[in-house]
Amino acid sequence: MKKKYHYVIVTFLSLFSAAMMYPMAWMLMISFKTNADIRTNKTKFFPEEWTLEGYKTAFAKAPIGHWFANSMFITICITAAVILTSTLIGYVFAKYQFRAKKMMFVLLLATMMVPPQVTMIPRYLMIQKMHLFNTKWALIVPALVSAFSIYLAKQFITDVPDSLCEAAKMDGAGPLRIYWSVILPNIKPAIGSIGIFTAMANWNDYLNPLLMLNDIDKMTLPLGLVIFDSQRTVDLSATMAAAAMIMMPMIIIFILFQKQFIKGMTLSGMK
Amino acid sequence: MKNNRFTAAVLVPSFLFLFMFTAFPVVYGLGISFFDYNPASTENLFLGLENYKRLVRDDVFWEAVKNTVFFGGAAVCANIVITLFLAKIISVLPWKRWKTFFRTILFIPCIAPVVGTSMVWKYGILGTDGGVLNKIAAGFGAAPKNWFLTTLPLMLLIIVYTLWADIGYNVVLFTAGIEGVPKEFDEAAAIDGAGPVRRFLSIKLPLMGRTFAFVAIMTMANYFQMFAQFRIFAPKGGMNNSAMVLTNYIYRTSFISFDMGYASAIAAGLFLIVFVVAMIQNKMMRADWSYE
Repeated sequence: MKKKYHYVIVTFLSLFSAAMMYPMAWMLMISFKTNADIRTNKTKFFPEEWTLEGYKTAFAKAPIGHWFANSMFITICITAAVILTSTLIGYVFAKYQFRAKKMMFVLLLATMMVPPQVTMIPRYLMIQKMHLFNTKWALIVPALVSAFSIYLAKQFITDVPDSLCEAAKMDGAGPLRIYWSVILPNIKPAIGSIGIFTAMANWNDYLNPLLMLNDIDKMTLPLGLVIFDSQRTVDLSATMAAAAMIMMPMIIIFILFQKQFIKGMTLSGMK
Repeated sequence: MKNNRFTAAVLVPSFLFLFMFTAFPVVYGLGISFFDYNPASTENLFLGLENYKRLVRDDVFWEAVKNTVFFGGAAVCANIVITLFLAKIISVLPWKRWKTFFRTILFIPCIAPVVGTSMVWKYGILGTDGGVLNKIAAGFGAAPKNWFLTTLPLMLLIIVYTLWADIGYNVVLFTAGIEGVPKEFDEAAAIDGAGPVRRFLSIKLPLMGRTFAFVAIMTMANYFQMFAQFRIFAPKGGMNNSAMVLTNYIYRTSFISFDMGYASAIAAGLFLIVFVVAMIQNKMMRADWSYE
């Protein structure tokens, strides 16, 4: 049933999408222009002459390779740890009976309501006292357990039939064995969903690196990027080249895996 | 199943850990708020309620409260109206390809770090020299404006930026929610003679309650914590603190002026606001939303 108004909607959404993409397109165009080109041809969208000068300057000015490696390491560590801790804790909440279970779950949810800005000063002081300040571990350690991910994991694990667990128990499987060979294989979409959420949140995080890292070489990509903005005269071509380099890998990964991404997001909302 | 040893082995360390980085800092922060606290000084004077008295008299604090509530309220409402509308019109399309395409495009800004896209907007959209807004203004013969020196317009532009950066999430969630509502309800209403808008408002919307509640709560919690875009667009709070929000005020007071005792008192204020909002939400979302 294709109707006239369907075409109206497609036209409207196409225009809307084009507007949504404009800032990204502008960033890419500026990144391929020279600063002289930006100054003289203010109304032109495309570069007069395509150049990689901006990218070269960005690399020369800042340790983007280091930032990339730091962001990578931190994101991978946290994501792997969170997948492990949230499924394990979610499993206990979903499949085991124990005293004060309900109250403990409510407490867990309550920790989600605390905004990070409320705890940031104490966390900063604690990290200093633990001698983790200005290291990768200052970001990794506090993020190892995530209440939101536990909540998501628990919702999914509840749907795994109890009979499967009971059957495995009859066969002599211990709790960890059940976790590994019954629970985990049955909640793969949930693992994807938690992984995507965690990776994105930490890859893009700005507040925590801002508080916990000091040295330029130790910074993550979002934190490092701001250095370009804080210089007195902003080299626009290099700044947009750096911004593009920071954004494009994630965007390309997203476009390649968008089906899984969207599915993961959707699952989290339905639970 | 029951296995107290296993349960304890998992839960005790994880709860200790979780509390060490959430509950304990809340208490610790509350403690600091009674001191004149500077991490660099050796002696920190006990002030009692002095920081709180100062807080009540602090115009910047009240300005920040006002801006935080305004930003949160306006942006969340606009977000939900826009994303519901987009999700609805995307979901009626009969072509799967186009649906996927639009959802993907709308989601792209969500993938990028907020600091990165904020910087793109700062120069590309709001820029005094070469920003789109001023180009459009020039088309109407207006002189270029420095948006960063405005009060309300800057705040509204930060809201527009935030919507641009964030609507993808909710569009995806709402599309899934709309498609999850059984078709029979809609068809029954259509037979009874309800028009499409009417059907959407009185059938679909109440039936996708669970998604709606989740989205509203998450968006609200999220928007009260927004920080990065304010650091880029108005690092010092903008003209007359008109774009100063609580998160940035806490950051500036604690990590730029190193007045951590007072900053902790502001944080306690933020905590109170979030708590009250959560309570109100909890009351509103009590309703039973399932369609089984």
